[in-house]
Amino acid sequence: MDHVLTLLIVIPLAGLIPLVAFFRDTRAVKQVAVTTTLIELVASLVMLAQFHSGEAGFQLRESAAWLPTFGIRYELGVDGISVLLVPMTTLLTFISVLYSTGGAIKERIGEFMAAFLLLEVGMVGVFIALDLFLFYVFFELMLVPMYLIIGIWGGPRRVYATLKFVLFTLGGSLLMLVGIVAVYLASGDAGGRTLSLPELLTRSGRFSADFQFWVFLAFGLAFAIKMPMVPFHTWLPDAHVEAPTAGSIVLAGVLLKAGGYGFLRFAVPLFPIGTQAWLPVLILLSVVAILYGAVVSVVQKDLKKLVAYSSVAHMGFVTLGIFVLNQQGGVGAVLQMLNHGFVTGALFLFVGIQYEKTHRRQIADLGGLANGWPLYTAFFGVFVLASLGLPGLNGFIGEFLVLLGTFKFNPVGGPGGLFWGPLAAIGVILAAVYLLWMFQRVMYGTLREAYRALPDLSPLEVVCAVPLLVLTVLLGVFPQPVIAIIAPSVERILAIAAAGTQVVLK
Amino acid sequence: MSLSDFVTVLPEAVVTATACLVLLADAVLDRKAARIWLPVLVVAGLVAAIFSGPFTVASHTAFGGFVVVDTFATFFRVLFIVLAIFTTVVAPEYLERRQIPAGEFYATVLFSTVGAMTIALAADLITLFIGLELMTIPVYVLAGMARRDRFSNEAGLKYFLLGAFSSALLLYGFAWLYGLSGTTTFTGIADAIGSGGLTNGATLVALALVTVGLAFKAAVVPFHQWTPDAYDGAPTPATAFMSVAPKAAAFAAILRVMIGSLGPLGLDWSAVFAILAAITMTGGNVVALAQGNVKRMLAYSSIAHTGYILAGVAAYQAGAAASAAVLFYVFAYGIMNLGAFACLIYLDLDGTRGATLDELNGFSRRRPAGALAFAIFLVSLTGIPPTIGFVAKVFILQPVLDAGLVWLAVVIALNAVLAAFYYLRVVVHMYMYDEDANAPRLLPTRLLTAGLGIAGLATVAIGILPDGVYRWALQAAAPFVVR
Repeated sequence: MDHVLTLLIVIPLAGLIPLVAFFRDTRAVKQVAVTTTLIELVASLVMLAQFHSGEAGFQLRESAAWLPTFGIRYELGVDGISVLLVPMTTLLTFISVLYSTGGAIKERIGEFMAAFLLLEVGMVGVFIALDLFLFYVFFELMLVPMYLIIGIWGGPRRVYATLKFVLFTLGGSLLMLVGIVAVYLASGDAGGRTLSLPELLTRSGRFSADFQFWVFLAFGLAFAIKMPMVPFHTWLPDAHVEAPTAGSIVLAGVLLKAGGYGFLRFAVPLFPIGTQAWLPVLILLSVVAILYGAVVSVVQKDLKKLVAYSSVAHMGFVTLGIFVLNQQGGVGAVLQMLNHGFVTGALFLFVGIQYEKTHRRQIADLGGLANGWPLYTAFFGVFVLASLGLPGLNGFIGEFLVLLGTFKFNPVGGPGGLFWGPLAAIGVILAAVYLLWMFQRVMYGTLREAYRALPDLSPLEVVCAVPLLVLTVLLGVFPQPVIAIIAPSVERILAIAAAGTQVVLK
Repeated sequence: MSLSDFVTVLPEAVVTATACLVLLADAVLDRKAARIWLPVLVVAGLVAAIFSGPFTVASHTAFGGFVVVDTFATFFRVLFIVLAIFTTVVAPEYLERRQIPAGEFYATVLFSTVGAMTIALAADLITLFIGLELMTIPVYVLAGMARRDRFSNEAGLKYFLLGAFSSALLLYGFAWLYGLSGTTTFTGIADAIGSGGLTNGATLVALALVTVGLAFKAAVVPFHQWTPDAYDGAPTPATAFMSVAPKAAAFAAILRVMIGSLGPLGLDWSAVFAILAAITMTGGNVVALAQGNVKRMLAYSSIAHTGYILAGVAAYQAGAAASAAVLFYVFAYGIMNLGAFACLIYLDLDGTRGATLDELNGFSRRRPAGALAFAIFLVSLTGIPPTIGFVAKVFILQPVLDAGLVWLAVVIALNAVLAAFYYLRVVVHMYMYDEDANAPRLLPTRLLTAGLGIAGLATVAIGILPDGVYRWALQAAAPFVVR
């Protein structure tokens, strides 16, 4: 299939047409949305099949003039990193949409599905855009649908949460826009300017050290808010707590990844000197995120907030893995992004399922659910164990590689891997504390009378959970094929970044 | 003066003739026929005017050097006509409900449009001033057209007094320029000033007077005080027109005067313009944050947009890209701001009052298409892709950074976040709150919805594929490069 990447952008947009046509028919709207996201999922698997594993560069490239006056191009392509993040996105979107047909979304289902399809365009586009301008458009395209999803279908404090989410994100990304325009102007003389990433990588010698310092800051702020890194994380718990389940799944599963992906794809290779300059701060913030996220998770009383804060800690591992700037760390970071997508997506799904049944999210109000819901307990247990990094499940391998990379980290000045490594490892232990303790309080003990009659997982919920469970086990047992896809591309990025610091600057 | 002179201003002549025809038809036709045929006549005349002139043209002068027809003039010509068509489409239902005489309304809009077109054609201070007065005097009338509404009266009077005051300042500045250079043509003034520079006090006085006069017309902070009351009190379709066409014309005048004739002093005025731009966007946005009335909020936000556009003027050193950015932004602003004000027409409120935020609660359920259009305009005004407002901001940022005004670019970015807060709050009320007992009645508005639908589509379509319009703006901006 030619133009499979363009197809990935067109399918959800095309799905909007029948969706709008049958807008008032709830059943038809659900069918259209599920079918569209399923086709999109299949298309992304076709893309994965067409990808040649083991090659480092961009594949399946597409390029067309878009804004010829500016030399801005519609340029798409995937490498070993994005080729995995795209199917993750389409799978999580499909599951979110499928789950939402089951009654979690009670009103305005047509608007909900339309927002989700638009959101999918943005999410997929972010991972396959190779032109910075196009990337920015997709990056922002995710914003408005998510704003509506939280704000219309969210919890009681949804308006506050969604405005906070949008203002934080927009604050970062608008500064990045200034950075992008600055990169454009620095990329060449009038007439020869570009924002195409492959082209920019050959010209990064034009970016002076001072320029890289500031532009890295502009890009870094946008990505750090999106991730989110401490201290820019305060929007995340609010947004997650108020978001509907499907919104939480893609927010944690996909949107946060856009930040980590942005660092790895754009900020590190384009501004290697800027990266070096900010490295101490970034490493420090990553480790703080790991420890702070974990400690705060321990004391959470709200189940959803606990999972949200655990995301902060998990994202800390991603940034740590990226900024130790070695192969193990980078591969670990990408794996961690994938695994966090599947596992935390699943955790939010199960918290949502539980909430739909009991209408309680306070851990103290729950308890003994294992007695009533054996199937739920089995699934939820596996995901909790994967999230705390049990060997044999997928969470382990990413965190292990990141820690390995951290111990090997050896900067010119300042504390090295032997200082940061053990600190980060404490975060892994704390993860076991807060997750197992939560599991114990929620699932064991005596079941309340009020919950006794509540049903276990419905077939629809099982269908939603099974793919995530399979991937959790599969990636935990056989990570090698995936690592083989990721590693060459990560090495390539790190090589570009290393070469960039050697260039004698004009 | 020959026949060929008249051919060059054929579109202006067609619009003038249409205005006269409308007044005649209004007198002849009975009420029912007028309701249908007047808007048709106006739109037909305006469309004919668009196609009676070229879209791009090699620069040439007419009427003995008083008028210059270049792509700059044709760009604005088309823009003003499009804005007038848009106003005509959104107005009828409102005018009928409020019993505002429709024929007079359309004719006034058309006369104002001719004035705006004349400003873009000006090659001479006198033509410019005539155009300016021809544009603003009808707008004073428009603002006060709801005769029995005291807010409308206040709007008309306030706009008139401050407009007359600023015209006097501007005219006085023009007189100084004439005294300095001995000519009223832009090129002549540029030559005279280019050789002298800012060496004497007289030039400084002229520069200051002209800057302040134009700043009043464009509603630059701190010369903006007339704007909120005038916009808030005027009948809403008039506000929609007032907020865009005179502003676009003011920027046409700023480019013609500041770059076309005072360009040699650019280094002296551009720093002032950069500071004014920063104050204007910040001031407009900060005050807009505090507004509970959407019409008033949009009035303040139009001031903020003046600041963004002014930033493009301040970056004149970046060459044609700066002027092209100004033109593109004015174009984008025209569509999205007119659209945003027009969305308020749905709400059938007493007087000329605009809706409060609470009155928009649940609007998305009551008028899904109207709410969607409103949301698109608001997202575009915020500057979020894929809309025309986003690309317009990018096009402004590029010359601003190119001219080395990094601080101003950062101020623009931070202001966009401020703006996001109040624009998106409207979306919150439309989509996230349910309608309550005191929700206002809605007008039956099929024509309005159709007009807004087309404008909303254009906002997104040009936002995705802006290259054609930008290239046109770039051609139009070609003369505005200071050598």
